[in-house]
Amino acid sequence: MTCGDDLTGGYRDAGPAPDDVDLDRVWLGVAAQVWRRQPGPAERMAGRLLRSPGLARALVTTPSLLLGWVIATVVILLAGVGFTLGTGTPWVALLAPGIAAAGIAYAYGPGIDPAWELSQSMAVSDRMVLLVRALAVFGLNAALGLAASAASGAAAAVTFGWLVPMTAVCALALAVATVTRSPNVGVAAGSAGWVIALLASQAAEGRFTAAITDSFLVLPYLAFAAGCGAVVLFATRIPRGSS
Amino acid sequence: MNVELTELTRKFGHTQAVAGVTLQAGAGVFGLLGPNGAGKTSLLRMMATVLPPTSGTLRLLGRDPGGYGPRREIRRRLGYLPQNLGYYPGFTVYDFVEYFALLKDMPPGQVPSAVATAIEQVGLGDKARIKLRTLSGGMLRRVGIAQAIVNQPELLLLDEPTAGLDPEQRVAFRALLREFGERATVIVSTHLVEDVAAACSEVTLMDSGAIVFHGTPDELIAQGEGSGAAGDAPLERGYSAILAAARSGVAARS
Amino acid sequence: MDDDALIAAVARRDDTALRELFSRHAPWLAARLRGVLPAAEVEDVLQETFLAVWRGASGYRPQGSAGGWLWGIARRQAALWLRRRGPAELLLPALLAADGRHPGDPAEAALSRAELARAVSALGPEDGPARETWRLMYVEDKSVAEVAELMGVSPGTVKSRAHRARRLMRAALRHHEPAREGGGQ
Repeated sequence: MTCGDDLTGGYRDAGPAPDDVDLDRVWLGVAAQVWRRQPGPAERMAGRLLRSPGLARALVTTPSLLLGWVIATVVILLAGVGFTLGTGTPWVALLAPGIAAAGIAYAYGPGIDPAWELSQSMAVSDRMVLLVRALAVFGLNAALGLAASAASGAAAAVTFGWLVPMTAVCALALAVATVTRSPNVGVAAGSAGWVIALLASQAAEGRFTAAITDSFLVLPYLAFAAGCGAVVLFATRIPRGSS
Repeated sequence: MNVELTELTRKFGHTQAVAGVTLQAGAGVFGLLGPNGAGKTSLLRMMATVLPPTSGTLRLLGRDPGGYGPRREIRRRLGYLPQNLGYYPGFTVYDFVEYFALLKDMPPGQVPSAVATAIEQVGLGDKARIKLRTLSGGMLRRVGIAQAIVNQPELLLLDEPTAGLDPEQRVAFRALLREFGERATVIVSTHLVEDVAAACSEVTLMDSGAIVFHGTPDELIAQGEGSGAAGDAPLERGYSAILAAARSGVAARS
Repeated sequence: MDDDALIAAVARRDDTALRELFSRHAPWLAARLRGVLPAAEVEDVLQETFLAVWRGASGYRPQGSAGGWLWGIARRQAALWLRRRGPAELLLPALLAADGRHPGDPAEAALSRAELARAVSALGPEDGPARETWRLMYVEDKSVAEVAELMGVSPGTVKSRAHRARRLMRAALRHHEPAREGGGQ
């Protein structure tokens, strides 16, 4: 220690801060480092892929991509695997579209975003956020579903077959959620639509799984999905300016 | 000129929310006064590029918000506080302001110090890492103001910003507005007349979607003198006088 | 909350405690640093000081006084800051002026820089007392009192270290320039 240094009380006698030292600026420099949030590896990678740190942050804060939600999805699919192995009915394929639809409905929109109006005034447009979140949720659900389906030993036709109806059901859920501004209504519509499809195939061909495996349904499903996509695009259309 | 509106209108079905507003604003603090339903919020929403106009022209920061590219450029330089701003309960104050800083395309290297500055400017420095769900209404409003100013906007639009703020906080807030008004266009929509008196260099009064007065606060006070209009303060009397005149179809004294 | 409790809170990552600590102690730390550094450098050093406090609060033992602990950190940060800022080239004008030579010729200047670097390394390791004293006194142009404050030693010690440093450098330079006349004195 420096000799002659009165450590206990004398330091207060050094006087007030000098006029030419901006202590507020110093504190801001300290606070910026102390408060800052370090993005996790997923967010950093997303930022590089999407070339937008804002979009990456919007993606990792998607309600239906949060850990709790993903765990719930895995649990349901595992249950589906169990039922499938037990009963021979491809439960995973039957459940997966409904789960994905719920995830999509809870990914985006005025029903789920409390700061919705503010989000609409952002440079990173809400349509971009919608697109990125929907693709991510869909992709994750598809991957989990494929894994579960393969684990449950279902036939290849079934395993991949449900991706098409899943697309249609998700598109329906998203369209309804966007138009009605409520994720719950979107989930309900998606689930109801899927249940109706299953019941219809049961009535028409005597088995639920016809809704998944009948190849002549592929085009109608995709057309329906495209139609719902158009609805979403229209509902989120970019506000026109003047002229 | 940062804001140029020409005969701007907005209809919702058959209702005319904004009826032919023409306005120009450069740097400074501008007050937007008027009773509920006067069209202030719709006007602000159009300037925030959140609501498209039905007709008329709109130029913000020298650009036409009709195109995707110019609109994005406008939004990078825009600060907006809506009348009803929700919050994400699990976010901290820092998280919330940072989220919108990132969505405004701020370069990531500048974000931590910009967020710290905004948080300290609204007096929430001791709450930076507190979760939003534990904050009072006035503090949440201040968080909203912080996200609006974080990118040092050239156009700052505030809809009822002082709701829930106590008098001391309102004084600090007005000082903040004056500071921003030196370089940027600040438009404050409020029904609190005293907010306007202290901070604004110009006042616009709206009623039923149209502008019924535009001038300095002193000119508004002059409108109220000797008119016998209701009001406890000179500015309030001017406000009442103008509204009464507009509604009875008499042109305001100029 | 007293200072010891505040520092303990900072060790628990309580940023409001750091803010309180800053508002209490930054003014006098700034005043003290201002005595030895220009204003812009005081701001940077003070910022580094409190960041060091944030990182190192768990190492504080509440038996001395918080003020002394804080000043110790500030002083170390000031020394680090000065060291980072001073490349070897800055030594050249000071030394050549003392020798009565001027770096007009770029080739000669380059040669001198190499000689200089060798001479400086003759003073010992980079944070050794001789080299540090030399740098503070002749590059940073500090007074004896300022150097004493920054290094935490008495003025007499500073003077003898500076004398030793000059002696060592002269010897090193003379050794490397047998053909030149008028070596430094």
